[in-house]
Amino acid sequence: MIRDRLRDVSGQIIAIAVALILGAIIILLVGESPLRVLTTLLRGAFGDQEKIAGTLLQTTPILICGVAACIGLRGGMFNVGIEGQLFLGGFAAAWVGFAFALPAGLHMLAALALAVVAGAAWVAIPAYFRARYNTNEVVSTILSNYVAVLLTSYFTIFLFKRPGGWSETPPILPSAYLPELFSFSRLNWGLIIGLVLALGAALIFRYTSWGYGVTMVGSAPKFAEYGGVNVKRQGFVVLLLSGAVGGLAGGIETLGVHHRFMEGFAPGFGFDGLIAALLANGSPVATIFTALFFGALRSGSLLLEVDTSASREIITVIQALIILSVSAQVLVRRRGDSQAGERRWKF
Amino acid sequence: MVSNAGSPTLHMKAEMAVALTGITKRFGAFVANDGIDLAVRRGEIHAIIGENGAGKTTLMNILFGLLQPDEGSIRLNGEETVVTDPAVAIKAGLGMVHQHFKLVPSLSVADNVFLGMEIRRHGLIDHAAQIARTRELSKRFGLQVDPTERVGLLSVGIEQRIEILKVLVRGARTIILDEPTAVLTPQESRELFQTLRSFVAEGMTVIFISHHLEEVMEVSDTVTVLRNGKKVATRPTAELNKDELVRMMVGREVSFDRRPRTPSRGDVVLDVKELWARDDRRLPALRNVSFTVRSGEVVGIAGVAGNGQTELAEVLSGLRPASHGSARLKRRDLATLSPREIREAGLAHVPGDRMVRGVDRNASIAANMLMGRQHRAPWSSGGVLNWTAISQNASRLIRDFDIRAQGPGDAVKRLSGGNIQKVVLAREFTNDADFLLIDQPTRGVDIGAQEAIHDEIMRQRAAGRAILLISVQLDELAALADRILVMFNGRIMGEVAGDGADEDRIGMMMAGVAAPEPAAEPA
Amino acid sequence: MEILDKLVNVALIAATLRTTAPILLVALGGSFTTKAGIFNIGLEGQMLAGAFFAVIGSIWTGSALAGVACGVAAALAFALVFAVLVVSFRANEVVVGLALNILAGGMTISLMKAIFGTRGSIVGHGIVGLPKVQLPGARAVLGSWAPLISGFTPIVYVGFIAVPLLVLFYNRTRLGLYIRVVGEKPEAAEALGISITRVRYIASLLCGLLAGLAGAHLSLGYITMFTENMSSGRGFMAVAILIFSNGDPLKVLWGCLLFGFADAFSLRLQTFGYPSYLVLTVPYVVALTALFALSYRARPKIITETLASMQRLLSTDKNIEQGGKHPS
Repeated sequence: MIRDRLRDVSGQIIAIAVALILGAIIILLVGESPLRVLTTLLRGAFGDQEKIAGTLLQTTPILICGVAACIGLRGGMFNVGIEGQLFLGGFAAAWVGFAFALPAGLHMLAALALAVVAGAAWVAIPAYFRARYNTNEVVSTILSNYVAVLLTSYFTIFLFKRPGGWSETPPILPSAYLPELFSFSRLNWGLIIGLVLALGAALIFRYTSWGYGVTMVGSAPKFAEYGGVNVKRQGFVVLLLSGAVGGLAGGIETLGVHHRFMEGFAPGFGFDGLIAALLANGSPVATIFTALFFGALRSGSLLLEVDTSASREIITVIQALIILSVSAQVLVRRRGDSQAGERRWKF
Repeated sequence: MVSNAGSPTLHMKAEMAVALTGITKRFGAFVANDGIDLAVRRGEIHAIIGENGAGKTTLMNILFGLLQPDEGSIRLNGEETVVTDPAVAIKAGLGMVHQHFKLVPSLSVADNVFLGMEIRRHGLIDHAAQIARTRELSKRFGLQVDPTERVGLLSVGIEQRIEILKVLVRGARTIILDEPTAVLTPQESRELFQTLRSFVAEGMTVIFISHHLEEVMEVSDTVTVLRNGKKVATRPTAELNKDELVRMMVGREVSFDRRPRTPSRGDVVLDVKELWARDDRRLPALRNVSFTVRSGEVVGIAGVAGNGQTELAEVLSGLRPASHGSARLKRRDLATLSPREIREAGLAHVPGDRMVRGVDRNASIAANMLMGRQHRAPWSSGGVLNWTAISQNASRLIRDFDIRAQGPGDAVKRLSGGNIQKVVLAREFTNDADFLLIDQPTRGVDIGAQEAIHDEIMRQRAAGRAILLISVQLDELAALADRILVMFNGRIMGEVAGDGADEDRIGMMMAGVAAPEPAAEPA
Repeated sequence: MEILDKLVNVALIAATLRTTAPILLVALGGSFTTKAGIFNIGLEGQMLAGAFFAVIGSIWTGSALAGVACGVAAALAFALVFAVLVVSFRANEVVVGLALNILAGGMTISLMKAIFGTRGSIVGHGIVGLPKVQLPGARAVLGSWAPLISGFTPIVYVGFIAVPLLVLFYNRTRLGLYIRVVGEKPEAAEALGISITRVRYIASLLCGLLAGLAGAHLSLGYITMFTENMSSGRGFMAVAILIFSNGDPLKVLWGCLLFGFADAFSLRLQTFGYPSYLVLTVPYVVALTALFALSYRARPKIITETLASMQRLLSTDKNIEQGGKHPS
């Protein structure tokens, strides 16, 4: 068992190494020195305590979105719509934050609750059609992302624009703020919530009857059906929960970092989360580390933009390369194991 | 043993369309074909008959180049040939109609017939020419099809005609049909036999695989009987009668390890009345099936695979709806219950396709043994799993059922087939269910494990469980069942007492020969 | 009514044809992979790469045609990577497709920054757009309706001519037939000695070819510029169309015309002062609605079959019952 685990992990590491080499080649093509890019990334991500806090700040939404993706993947569902759920959740939380006045604490909880509901509601229709009529959830959730982003922009700019501002809502009341952890950074309780969610999801999948049934639906649906698990219902529930966590990610981003909703407020976090979850092979605990990795890349890329001629999107290139090489790692595995290698990504 | 009196001698080999000598094929320790000689004369219909697993299909796959023999040689039309792949066989004039059709539903009949050897004009496929050629061939051999129709809309019988046309278009002079009548209605079978005779009339040769006695008697010129991978005999059909054929197929030397049995006086646990159900193709798979299973009793279902047993198991476990009639488990109507509720009402189920339904191969033994009881104490309380209890239980079952594994954390995919089956049995037999539905408990399991599994089934019987045992292995049923019901074509053909099981009679019923018990009509 | 007249006129229909062309081309490209049994969510990335490199090629060579060739080559490279991973390595097609989309997005922005030192978009720099083809005599014959057939870029014509060609391809050519067989019944292909791997590679590359053309049309067609993520989900809409059309070229055409119309209509609405953000959702909402509505109609076989068998239950079972009394 431990040898299996080791082999899994070593496969993942080899894949990442291959991706980094490919990334280095692309950086060379872009006309930068890979070494300089690397040191800049490291400096940008871990240079001092503010930079480390910045990395953790970037990690938070990736982690929560990653947990959302893990929940879906466990039940055999690809929720590619986390980006949209994040935006709607973010807006919903902001709306509660600026439109109502409630006691501190309660205000924050109410805002987060609406964010959760918004995320779940946004995925409900694709989830229903997936469970009931087997409508491809990948396409329906991707397309709903575009609608969600445009819809929240419409809300922000046409309905709730801050007077005098450009494309942002009025600021939320301080009573709805997520408390910050340190004085020198906007790093907040969101990170703690993310860690709790990741560990909680892992515990639920491992230690509850429900989690066991869902895991079996994801990995062997016919076996689950035979054992009396309602495969269709669990598929629906899993997507709904995944959407709810996606919405929560948006709410936390609003209440903890921006304190308002603005157009394009958290671009790409949903996709980063999905990639982090895939790289973690659907394990919420492993997602903590992959999310930290991507958070560091993102945080480091801010300095990259300033200090080198490379664009910060070079890190999305590296992320994509990592996923591609991990997905192809059947290559580096023994032939007899090719089936296992295949399944890892079939979820 | 029966002699090979009727087998053709060597000097006649020039007349032989096909001659196999000493063909042996092993799969691991299992010998599927053991030194089989087979000679098929040009212009005859040669039937190859035997029970499931007798090695018929393996032998034909070797002849057609789909498998390579470990020993032995093949002569086609008198020429020593190494059949490396089907292309070689096709070139030598062989054609095979498989049991499972390989047709493309969205294409027309003619397109399917000519797939891979399209007639083209100016680089484009000439549909008109293909349709004309197909029509011509279908007329010539009485294979009625409309070449322009889409295959997806056609019945299985017509699909088979298309498969035969495919073979003919490729110039086959010797046609192998693997269990061709298994999917046909009696009328369609008769039409097929007409076609086969027209082939022979044109000087072609037919090799016909079957386990259906009557049709072999009806259509073939020569019969070869296989049993347990060995050839029993080759005889002209005219010299044989059905009783002899059954004896050769089933064999006398099979020792039925009969256990003493007393009829059960227990309560009726499962009561099936006039049950009808459809298969995936929406054809009736169960026709008016009625029986009961009492506690402390093993009721066996005998029959050739694909005669409704799978559908019966699926209906009883809630995985397939019944179209008519009722099945009651301890007086509760199964139609109103979900699969989970049926389990809770007292079903334990050992599924026939254990790799898909029975286990999650990638999960651990412990996780596999949890399925179906994850909501019950002591494995969970308040929705929280107790992995200590689950693991301990798994360890105990590994010991009790003698599962060869390192521990409960081992992935099921690391185990052998027999041990995977024991994982399933261990889980289902310790569920405290009153009704055990056991489908093919020893398929692909080695002899030693078979013994252990049989002992366990008898222990469950002694503990007062009601057991429905579905098996294609007659000796298994004779060894375990109190009563044996024989299924053919979705119907129960009759009942035989287990300890007085007369293999001949069962064999006849399995082949659809014996008259069924008078069937009650559905309301 | 007056507003409706302003909204719906010859210009709108011509605009519909223009906006249909890129989605039609990319969907027809996806038709190859769909027919070959591959779920290709990577169309978006292929299109985006095609759009970017078409602009680069056009600037480098000063020729629109060479630009198109560059765009197609880039899309083909993406298609090849997709095929290698999905067909040869049997990686999950959704994961590979999504990763390639992300790669295309990041790569185009990074290269833009590296080459032009800018973010956002590439305008000017001597991009040569595609010429508009004025059909001779169109104006004389059709008068004010001439814009319906004349004045489009060559790629628009290619897209619409490709529809009947693909119908012919799938029905009358050996390769077209084999692509269908491989997608529909791989075991049949195997039994007949057709190489599934080779057919799937060819289908993936043909897909890349058309997706590249679609991308080139985006950046060299009616606007000669490249902007970040300018394919804006058209590749995903194409996948939605492919799901409910099953890749049949004629159905793909109708689906694309619907989206092209939705696209053109929403652009038109914007110029009339409707809130652009809401209006821009129209094509996506149309795609989603169509996806859900059509999957409802094509309910899983089990449901329809059960219904059908229940409907026929009484009559058929009566017949069987009769047969049951006289077993043959």
